[in-house]
Amino acid sequence: MNWLKNLAGTVGALSPTCKQAARLQSEAMDRRLSFSEKTGLRLHLLLCKWCRRYGEHLKFLRSAARQCEEHQGHQASEGLSPEARRRIEQRIRSEGQ
Amino acid sequence: MTRSLTEPPVSDPERWVELYGDYLFRYAMTRLRDPAQAEDAVQETFLAALKADKRFAGRSAERTWLAGILKNKVCDYYRRASRETPFADLEFYADEESGRFVGAGAQEGAWIRGLGPRPWPTPAESLENKGFWQAYRDCSERLPKRTAAVFNLREVDNLGSEEICLMLKISESNLWVMLHRARMALRQCLETHWFGKAGEPL
Repeated sequence: MNWLKNLAGTVGALSPTCKQAARLQSEAMDRRLSFSEKTGLRLHLLLCKWCRRYGEHLKFLRSAARQCEEHQGHQASEGLSPEARRRIEQRIRSEGQ
Repeated sequence: MTRSLTEPPVSDPERWVELYGDYLFRYAMTRLRDPAQAEDAVQETFLAALKADKRFAGRSAERTWLAGILKNKVCDYYRRASRETPFADLEFYADEESGRFVGAGAQEGAWIRGLGPRPWPTPAESLENKGFWQAYRDCSERLPKRTAAVFNLREVDNLGSEEICLMLKISESNLWVMLHRARMALRQCLETHWFGKAGEPL
């Protein structure tokens, strides 16, 4: 069983920790990872379901953010106040002349 | 009244506030989070648009054009703010980040048992759910202002790292830390306030 221990040791040394993997998965969305970062991360993801989930959640977050503005209208969120509305309309009128 | 098809439709600045005011205000509020600043940005947008004096075939084209001007106004605001105080916010979430992972020992850096990401039921359907978008908004409003600004520039406006760094005068590594923490916090908040509730019991 020694070889198994050795194998686990080697994989452990190459693979980042979950904390590092979380950071790498985020950075992979903003920059190109180096070869060794990429390899280490892949290895880690093979072995760790928590981090696989984390990566899926980040991807979901990105797709949600990209469409969040289309969904803003759904909310009864506040618009311009009546005072601001009046003030801006006045400015436009006076500038437009 | 009929208008000949060749004649360009006339844009009517008198109706801008009525037609686009709320939309532009919300757009500015997401990014500036300050009603007075957002109102100013909307007003500046209309005044700049008046000067440009363009005509558009249809409201959606006009709205897109106005939103483009507003986007630049918001970026100007960020630029000014970054000149006054450094934009990087590296304090945020540093504690919580380390609070999720084992601190020392053989398991160092692993998710603490019970604090790892949980499965999210039906994420795709959530995107069609009003409750989800309310939770999304509440969660992103909890992010510190600058962290939220960085996240929105990257993920909502889809600007590249380099462009954001130039605008805000921060280093790329600071940007990546901020984005990482923003994502981590948003993910956690949505898990707690939406997926944890909407789904099966965890």
